Amino acid sequence: MATIELDRLVKRYGQTTVVHGIDLSIQDGEFVVLVGPSGCGKSTTLRMIAGLEEISGGEIRIDGRVVNNLQPKDRNIAMVFQNYAIYPHMSVAENIAFGLYRSKLTKDEKRRRVEQAAETLGLSQLLERRPSALSGGQRQRVAIGRAMVRDPAAFLFDEPLSNLDAQLRTQMRIEIKRLHHRLGTTSVFVTHDQVEAMTMADRIVVMRDGHILQVGTPLDLYEKPVDVFTARFIGSPTMNLMPASLREGGAELSLGGTIEVPRSSPKTSDILVGVRPQDLVPTAGARGLSVTGTVAVVETLGSETFVHIENSGQTIIGSAPGRQIPRIGDKLTLHAPAERLYYFDKVTEKALTAP
Amino acid sequence: MATIAQREAAPGGLWSRMSLGQKQVMWAWGFLAVPLIFYAVIRFWPTFQAFYLSVTDWTITRPASFVGLENYKRLLADPLFWQVFRNTFMYLILGTPISLGISFVVAYYLDRVRFMHAFIRALYFLPFLTTAAAMAWVWRWFYQPVPIGVINDFLASFGIPQQPFLRSTTQALPAVLAPAVWAGLGFQIIIFLAGLRAIPVTYYEAARIDGLSEGAILRKITLPLLKPTLVFLVVFSSIGFLRIFDQVYNINSNDPGGPLNSTKPLVLMIYQTAFSSYEMGYAAAQTVVLFMILLVISLVQLRIMRDR
Repeated sequence: MATIELDRLVKRYGQTTVVHGIDLSIQDGEFVVLVGPSGCGKSTTLRMIAGLEEISGGEIRIDGRVVNNLQPKDRNIAMVFQNYAIYPHMSVAENIAFGLYRSKLTKDEKRRRVEQAAETLGLSQLLERRPSALSGGQRQRVAIGRAMVRDPAAFLFDEPLSNLDAQLRTQMRIEIKRLHHRLGTTSVFVTHDQVEAMTMADRIVVMRDGHILQVGTPLDLYEKPVDVFTARFIGSPTMNLMPASLREGGAELSLGGTIEVPRSSPKTSDILVGVRPQDLVPTAGARGLSVTGTVAVVETLGSETFVHIENSGQTIIGSAPGRQIPRIGDKLTLHAPAERLYYFDKVTEKALTAP
Repeated sequence: MATIAQREAAPGGLWSRMSLGQKQVMWAWGFLAVPLIFYAVIRFWPTFQAFYLSVTDWTITRPASFVGLENYKRLLADPLFWQVFRNTFMYLILGTPISLGISFVVAYYLDRVRFMHAFIRALYFLPFLTTAAAMAWVWRWFYQPVPIGVINDFLASFGIPQQPFLRSTTQALPAVLAPAVWAGLGFQIIIFLAGLRAIPVTYYEAARIDGLSEGAILRKITLPLLKPTLVFLVVFSSIGFLRIFDQVYNINSNDPGGPLNSTKPLVLMIYQTAFSSYEMGYAAAQTVVLFMILLVISLVQLRIMRDR
C-alpha cells in the first residue's frame, strides 16, 4: 500500500514533449483511472511510474520516496499489460509464481501464495494448464494473479481490458473492482474507454496532449466538466453543444429561442450551451431549453430511446422513454430543465464558472 | 427467361454439369499439378533411380546389372568410408554448435544495436552471398606460411611458431570448417534476429518489473521462446554440415579432401567415386547411406527438441 505523487512530471522523446509537467497525488488505497484519447500521454505516464520509461523532468514519489532512478524491480509495483504478457511456455501456476521470482520465501510459502491468488481469481482448476488453453478473460486473470502474489505497493493496469470482447470486458471490470475492494491496494488504471473510467474509478484523471485537464470523482466530471473536451468525453452519447450569443437577460440560441442564463456577466458574448441527451426529453418543463427539429435517426435501446433531431443542419440527440418511439420525419420538440444545462466559452472552450 | 435458361443448358458439357464443389476440386488439382509434376520428375524420379542404381554395378561403360547388396557390403568393408564417415560427423559435431553459438551471440547483441543496424546486419550477411569457391581461395591464402599467409604473419608477430593448417592431418579439418562456419553465420543471424523480434516486448517489461536479471531473462524467457527458431536452425545447419562439399573441394584443389583424406566428407567421396572412378552403382549406394544419415539425424533432432 502506498501513495503515489507525480510532481511536474515531464517526458520528452528528442524534441517532442509528450507529457508536459503534470502534477497528481494518489492517495493510499485509491483507484485512479487515467483516461484520454490515444496519444494523450496516459500510458507513458503509467510506464514512467512503473520505471519502464525514463523520466525527463520532475519527480515521482512512491510512499514519499523519490523513485526516479530506481529500477522497476526496486519500486515494488506490479503491472498488468494489455496483451497480458503471460509466458506461453509456462503453466498457469508457473506464470503466477513468476511474480515471486525474486522473493526469498520458502517453496511451500510460495506455493501457498500462488494457490491463494488462484483461489481469489477462480483459477484453482486451471493451475496446470498452458496459457494457450485459456480464454482471454482467464489469461488476464493469470496476469492479475502474477501481479497479486507479490503483495505490491501498487497495481498498474495498462489498458488491461482492451483485448477482451465487450461482454468479458464488463465482467472483468466488475472483478477488478471487487478485487480492489478486497485488497485495498493503490491502483492506477489506464484506459481510453470513458465507461471503464466512470465505472471503476474512485477518481478520474482526464488527459489530453500530455496535459491533465481535470481530476475528480466520476460524478464530479459528469456534473461539472471544466471544459468542452471533458464534457464531451465523459457520458454517452456525447453532450450536445449549441452555439448561442449572450443578450441582455439571456442567451439567444442560433437554433432559435432564448434561454435564461443564471450567470453574472461573462466576458464573452459567444457561448456554447451544452445539454446531455439524457436530460433532453419530450416532456415540457416550466422553464429551460426547448429545441424543435425533424426526427432523423432513432436508436432503440429498450430501456430508453435516443432520438436524433435535425434543425438548421445541426443534429441534437435527445432521449425518450423506452416504449415511446418517435417516427422518422416527424417534428419533435425536446425540453431540458435550466439547471441541467452547461455553459462554455466558445473561444477558450472553458466552462463558464457559476457566480 | 426461357431463352436464358435454354442458353445455360445448351452447352451441356461436362464442366457445366459439375457442382461448384467439384469445380473447385478441379481447379485445385489443376494448379497443384504444376509443382507435383515438377517434383515427380526433378526430385522423386532421380531419388528412386538412385535407390535402384545402388543395387547395380553400373559404371557408364557397361550397362547396369543387378548385384544385390554387394555395393553396401563393399562400402562397410572400405576403410576410406569409415574415415570419411568420421570426418563428416566431425564437421557436424563441431560446425553446428560453434556456428549456432556464434550467430546467437551476435544476433542477441545486434538486436539491441540501433546505430546502423541494417548496415551491420548486411555486413554479416555478405559472406552468405559469396561463392564458396572464391571464399575457399581467399581462406587458402590466409592459411599460407609467412610471408604470404595473414594468420601465420599475425602469429609470428607474437613469436608463436608457424602452423601448417591445411597441410596437417589434425589441423586441416578445423581449418576447412572455419570458412564454412563463417559463411553460414549471416543466414543464421538473420533467422535468430527474426526470432528475437517476434518475442513481444511486454514479456521483457513484465520480467523487468518482476525483477529478473539479464541472465535470468535470457534463460527463462528468451531461449524457451526462441525454441522453434532454434529447432529450425539446428536441423538446417546439421544438414548443411553433413552435406559439406564445395568448401572442402575448393580449399585444397590439387588434393581435394586431403591431406591423407583427413578432410574428406561423404559428399566428396561420392563425387570422386562417381566422376573420377565412374563407379556409379557404388556412388549411388553411398548416396543412399548419406540420405539415411540425414533422415535419421533430422528426425532424431526434431523429436528431441519438440518434446523438451
